[in-house]
Amino acid sequence: MARIELVNLRKEFGALVAVKDINVTIEDEEFVVFVGPSGCGKTTTLRMIAGFEDPTAGEIRIGGRVVNDLEPRDRGLGMVFQSHALFPHKTVAQNIEFGLRMKKVPPAERARQVQEVAEMVRLTHLLDKMPAQCSGGESQRVALARTLVTHPSTFLLDEPLSSLDAKLRRELRAECDRLHQALKRTFIFVTHDQEEAMTLADRIVVMRNGVIEQMGSPMEIYSNPVNSFVADFFGSPSMNLLSGEVVHESGMCRFRCASGGFQVGLPDRFNGLPAGPITLGIRPEHVNAVPVGNGATNDLELAVRLVEPLGKETLLYFDVGMERPFVTVSESTAMAELDSGARLGLTLAREQICLFGPDGHRIRAGSAA
Amino acid sequence: MTKSQKNRIGSIVRYTLLTIWAVIVAFPLYWMVSTSFKPSEQWFAWPTVYIPDPWTIVNYLDVWTDRQEVATGQYIISAQRPWIAFGNSLMIALTATTLSVVYGAVIAYGVSRYRVLSEVRMFQLLMLRMIPPIVIVAPLSLYYSALGLLDTATGLILIYFLTTLPYSVWMLKSFIDEVPREVEQAAEILGAPRWRTLVEVVLPLVRSGIVATFLFILILTWSEYLLALLLAKTEVVTLPIELSKYQGTTEGRVYGRQAALSVGITVPLVFIGLIIRKHLARGFSFGMIRR
Repeated sequence: MARIELVNLRKEFGALVAVKDINVTIEDEEFVVFVGPSGCGKTTTLRMIAGFEDPTAGEIRIGGRVVNDLEPRDRGLGMVFQSHALFPHKTVAQNIEFGLRMKKVPPAERARQVQEVAEMVRLTHLLDKMPAQCSGGESQRVALARTLVTHPSTFLLDEPLSSLDAKLRRELRAECDRLHQALKRTFIFVTHDQEEAMTLADRIVVMRNGVIEQMGSPMEIYSNPVNSFVADFFGSPSMNLLSGEVVHESGMCRFRCASGGFQVGLPDRFNGLPAGPITLGIRPEHVNAVPVGNGATNDLELAVRLVEPLGKETLLYFDVGMERPFVTVSESTAMAELDSGARLGLTLAREQICLFGPDGHRIRAGSAA
Repeated sequence: MTKSQKNRIGSIVRYTLLTIWAVIVAFPLYWMVSTSFKPSEQWFAWPTVYIPDPWTIVNYLDVWTDRQEVATGQYIISAQRPWIAFGNSLMIALTATTLSVVYGAVIAYGVSRYRVLSEVRMFQLLMLRMIPPIVIVAPLSLYYSALGLLDTATGLILIYFLTTLPYSVWMLKSFIDEVPREVEQAAEILGAPRWRTLVEVVLPLVRSGIVATFLFILILTWSEYLLALLLAKTEVVTLPIELSKYQGTTEGRVYGRQAALSVGITVPLVFIGLIIRKHLARGFSFGMIRR
């Protein structure tokens, strides 16, 4: 049983508050990903769970027991580091064996378990090599095996894939997923890569500046972000965020963009919204782009600045006079052939529109007024 | 002048300077070795004899076998056999160096990982070495006589251990700083107690640094003269003291035998250096751990 509870957990480094009183409960066998930009406190949180940092305040409970004062080795956890942290003077086999030796497992049993775990992560051919002779991906597999063999109740993974190239990263990501399903253990994974978080997690914890912004399943986070930060952080390309204001025209609530001079009617649920500054968010896949002049009425017409064919779909970039271009994604093959400068009519899927107040918080309906 | 001509002149200048420097550095060594093989009339003959003629090993026999009864007109230098001095030096230097490096490693680890000494304290530790030994040796000899440590091997070991400790701590700390923290934490979370992490992970990784430090301290203690002269010398004689007994005013100057003894003092260090040269090269080029 490894239910991990973080209760009002706080960490200060001098004047800097790295983690601000967070509360998270991680269920047994759950795969939780802590994600956020660098400096958000996710790694500090993981290191506190591991026991390498002492919390300034708050409690860490593993299986109901407060472990604040336990040494890392007594917490029953396994950790994989970003830098792999293999023992450079020991062979791969000796690296894997280390944890078993510390537990005084007899040699014959050690050899058997090393062999078993090496087969599990497919590195039997590396056992006699030194870590310096292993590639990045191989090193990370050794680090994984070294942790696996000690049968920890929980795996802590600190950006384990970020030092690898894209292809290897995908491979090892699949490996992590497979291991989680096979082992039925708790996994806590820290990353700054939203894609990793989306693909691996049962539940995502989004952090920023030491605070948890949102917790939920990947789809919840993606389709129902609580604020503009989360909305922006997830998805590739990320959500379009247009700053502007709410205006009322003939009883209808409309959004007027601060630049570009276009207006979009808002769904009925926002009718009660007071006039004032607001940010409209819409994901690229929720904007329909069609060539101008087919008779349909569009929300706005813009000239394409850049066409990025990705094969299955095409990304279209428009200039709306803001820092970031407005992006849409189209599955129509005709779009890939467009020249930049061509004018397109865009329609926003009304129900998918997200509104964020000046403080970045999501506005769910107009009744708040 | 073309570029290649410039380059060539550059190399000529460079190699000339380096050659001169090498000769300046190596000449005393050469002179020591060659004198040790010269018969007595060539020790300070004029014109200078650079290459012994004929070669002789009589100096070595005189020194290292203590041939007092051989009446070849040569002086009887000392009743103390150089081998005893050699044994003393070996025992004192090795013990003091081992203590210094072992304690130094533990302190350095503490400083590097747990900041047991602040930066100011670390600097003060180094400053201890800036005090000239002659300043402390008089009070020290009073303490020593009160404690009964004067003229004992224990006394010398103790003072060598303490005076070299700052070097050990500073050198070893720079090596331990290089060991990535995460490697240690990996060992910790895999169940290793702190001392096993130190013994099984940290120390093997700084092995080259330890070897380099060991040799450095060994050279210091092996060739130490002043403290050995003032704190010991009658009961416990080390090699540098033994060496000084070959140029007393009453005995006259016996360069050949002195040279033969000097070679004997130098050879063990060269020998140790050769055995561990692989570590020295790595140890003296910091940043040896692949990240």
